[in-house]
Formats: sequence, structure tokens, C-alpha cells
Amino acid sequence: MKKGQKLPYAEKKFSLWLIGAAAMHVFVLFLAVSFQLWDAGRHPKPKIVTVTLVSSPGSATSREYSDHESAAGVVEAPSPAVAPPPPVSKKSVKEPVPEKSPVIEKKIAIEPLKPKVVEKKPDINQALLRLKENVDKKTAQLPKPATTNLSNALDRLQQKVKSSGEGAGTGSGRGQASSSAGRNGVGRGSGGGGTADSYKAKIASIIQQNWAFSKQLLKNSYGMEVYVRINIVADGTIRQILYDKRAPSEYLNNSVKKALEKSSPLPVLPKEEGARDVWIGFVFTPEGIE
Amino acid sequence: MLDSRLGILGLLSDAGVVVLMVLSVLLSFSIISWAIIAYKFGYLRKSLRESKAFLDYFFEVYNIDKVFTESENFRHGSLPRVFRSGYIEYRALGDKGDIRLARARIARAVKREVNAENKRLSALVPFLATVSNTAPFIGLFGTVWGIMNSFHTIGLTQSASLAAVAPGISEALIATAAGLAAAIPAVIAYNSFTHKIGVIERDLEEFSPEFVAAFINEP
Repeated sequence: MKKGQKLPYAEKKFSLWLIGAAAMHVFVLFLAVSFQLWDAGRHPKPKIVTVTLVSSPGSATSREYSDHESAAGVVEAPSPAVAPPPPVSKKSVKEPVPEKSPVIEKKIAIEPLKPKVVEKKPDINQALLRLKENVDKKTAQLPKPATTNLSNALDRLQQKVKSSGEGAGTGSGRGQASSSAGRNGVGRGSGGGGTADSYKAKIASIIQQNWAFSKQLLKNSYGMEVYVRINIVADGTIRQILYDKRAPSEYLNNSVKKALEKSSPLPVLPKEEGARDVWIGFVFTPEGIE
Repeated sequence: MLDSRLGILGLLSDAGVVVLMVLSVLLSFSIISWAIIAYKFGYLRKSLRESKAFLDYFFEVYNIDKVFTESENFRHGSLPRVFRSGYIEYRALGDKGDIRLARARIARAVKREVNAENKRLSALVPFLATVSNTAPFIGLFGTVWGIMNSFHTIGLTQSASLAAVAPGISEALIATAAGLAAAIPAVIAYNSFTHKIGVIERDLEEFSPEFVAAFINEP
């Protein structure tokens, strides 16, 4: 009888402890979630920006962009009639539109500092291959009896490139050119780097100053390179930012974008550049800007 | 609004059915373990404290009637319970002339109460041993299952990048973490309780004959 009275009491007491333990688990779970929310609020996630991968064959305006893979060949633009081809998308691998595409037109119409961003998957090799074909096609369509010095220089360069196979030619223009399209170095773009080199160095230092980036925040530095091109109009405003290659870290990509936006407007273009806009390429690595 | 990708909730929302079942089992294990830990901790602490106080009083006062009266103040101690059962048997004896018979009856009553007390002390404790032994393996089962599914997904997506592999493995590993979280307190509590129960049982074995002798030799 005595035992019979105590057992329910013990069971009741144990049931109370059971409820208490369940409540404790709920409380601990709540605390863990709250802590995570609080911690996430303390360290807000960087805004993810989707950028466009555009590999242009080297338009007449992209004279300063230097491709890291191909040797820096000095090429000169044959004529301004050759418009930059549309950006090559991995998803829509079709024949490139020969002339001005609607996509490019749309991008140019965008406000400065707010470049239109099109989501694409980077595939540089494929893009470069297509661009090479595009350039070859266009080169064949060019009028042979070129009357300008630029056309003559281009013809010479093309012959040299064809004879030497891969690689890029050496320039004969005013300086080092850029935007050679692909590994084969059949690039299009004007020379004229002498004055522009100093200008490029100047804006690189400006961008470097505005670049807020901490290497310690990266878990590893493998493949942390951002190849970016900016289109600068005559008054120094950055009209368009294009990512040729994005880093695996969105933090690095965003920091580059913010640095470029913060740096705009850049100094006015040198007079040698004329009233046109220029494309300038940079390579951002955790060690700095190249 | 909580972000579904955030931390624990994100991992739970992305986990598979098997992993969720494993987590449910481990959660129930953990809740029951903690209830047992809390319940037994108080029970054993009271038993140890009251047994010690009762023994001090027992060797101080030789009058078993006084000791019995005092033992009513130690309702949770194991030794006072055993003493009370012997005393009740002693008082129930009609003829105290046959000392051998009286000693045998009192000893039997004391032994029965010692056995009951041992059962009471060790009740629920084996569950802690079960949790401490099985919870890590249950968690490991959930992890293995989750990783298996993760690799299956990798095969379907045909991408072995870190971004494709890591989330699945991370979701799977939460099962192992939950298993360890359930097992570690259970192991610690089991070892502690086993030690305390051993101390009380030794006291019961050593002092039970003293109680019987005290009843028989009562003036």
C-alpha cells in the first residue's frame, strides 16, 4: 500500500521533469536560432550581383583592354564600321549577330553607374573561340584596298599572325593595345597606349584607393581573380562594367563593383583619346589590381 | 520572416525524410535522457544526504524507538527506509522469545527492502547507458544516409564542385552532431549515477546486519 502510493508520486515527478526537459530543448533550439539571426544581422551577407560575361572581339573603342591569356598584341582598328559583336552567352550558343545587337544597344542606353546586368554563365574558351570565328569572318569581308593607315597596319598584322600561328603580334601603333580576341591573337582594336598607359595607371590607383577589401575574409585565395572591363566615356564617367571572369567569392566580386562605382567619375579622358569612350580592363586579385 | 536557408532551420528544411526521422529519434532520446538526469540527480543526492544523517543519528542513539521516530524525518534516504522495514517486522513479532526465528524474520524483511531499494536506485539509469551507446550510431546512420543521397544528387547533376557537394554533406552531418549532443550528457550522467548508486549499495550491505543486530540486542 505504501509502495502503491509512492509510485504514482514518482511517476508524476518524472513526468514533470520530462515536460521540463522538452521545454529546455525548445528553449535551446530557440536560443540557437536567435543567435544565428543575431549573428547574421551583425554580419550582413554581401549583396549578390549577377554580372555579364561578355567577350568582345576587340572593338574600336576597346583599345586599352589587355587580355592576360593572349600576348599583348598591338592591333589597330580597321574602321569604326566594325561594331562590337553581342555578348556571347553559354545558354544561347548560336551564330553571333554580326552587327549591333539589341542587347548592346540596351546596355548603352542604361544610366551611368547602373550597368545592365544580364545573367550568364562564364565560358571564356567557348566565347573566345566564337569571337575568333567572328573576327575571321569579318576580316575576310573587309575591303582589301584599304586606304587608311589603320587598315594597312591591320593587314600586315593579320598576315603576321597567320604566318606565326598562335600568339599575338607586336604592335606598331602608339602604344600597347589590348583586347586581342582569344588565344590566336587575332585582335581588333586600336593601338595608342602611350598616353593611355599613364591614364590607366592613374585610374588604377584611384580604384585601388576606393577598393575596400580584406584578404583575411577569403577562406582561400585559389582562383580569386576578377577580370573586369569598364567603359569610360569622355567625361570620365564609368558607363558600363563588364565581368569577363568572376571569382568564386561573391565578396570579392562585389567589392570590385563597389570600388568601381565609388571611383566614378574618373578623371576626364586624355585629349589624345578624342571624344570617344574607351574600354579599360583590370585584373583584381587579393594582392591588388593588375 | 526567417530565412529558410539560415543555419539550423535551413539544414532541417533541406534534410531528407530519413535524416529527419533520425533527428526525431535523437531528440526524443535527448529529452528523456535529460528528464532522467534531472530526476535521478535529485533522488540520489537526497538519498545520500539523508542516509548519512541517519547513520550519524543511529550510532549516536541506541534506543531503536527513538531512531525509528527520527527516521520519519528522512523519507527519501535508503538506509532509513531499510531500518523502518526492519523495525516494523520487529514490532510485528508476537513472540520474541525465539531469537533465532526473530533474527531470521527481521533479516528477511531487511533484505527484501534492500533489494527494493536497489531497484529503485537503479531504475531508469540503464536508459542513459542505452542512449550513450546508441545515439552516436543512430546519428552516424543519418549521416551516412544523407551523404549517400548527396552523392546521388551529385551524380544526377553531374557536378562535383564544392558548391554542389558541401550543402548535402553539411545537412547530413547534423545527424552526427545531434547524436553526440544526446550521448555526451548521458555518458557523463550515467558514470556519475553509477558511482553514487554503488556508494549507497555498499552502505546498505554493510549496515543492514547492524540494524538486525540492534533489533535483537534491544534491551
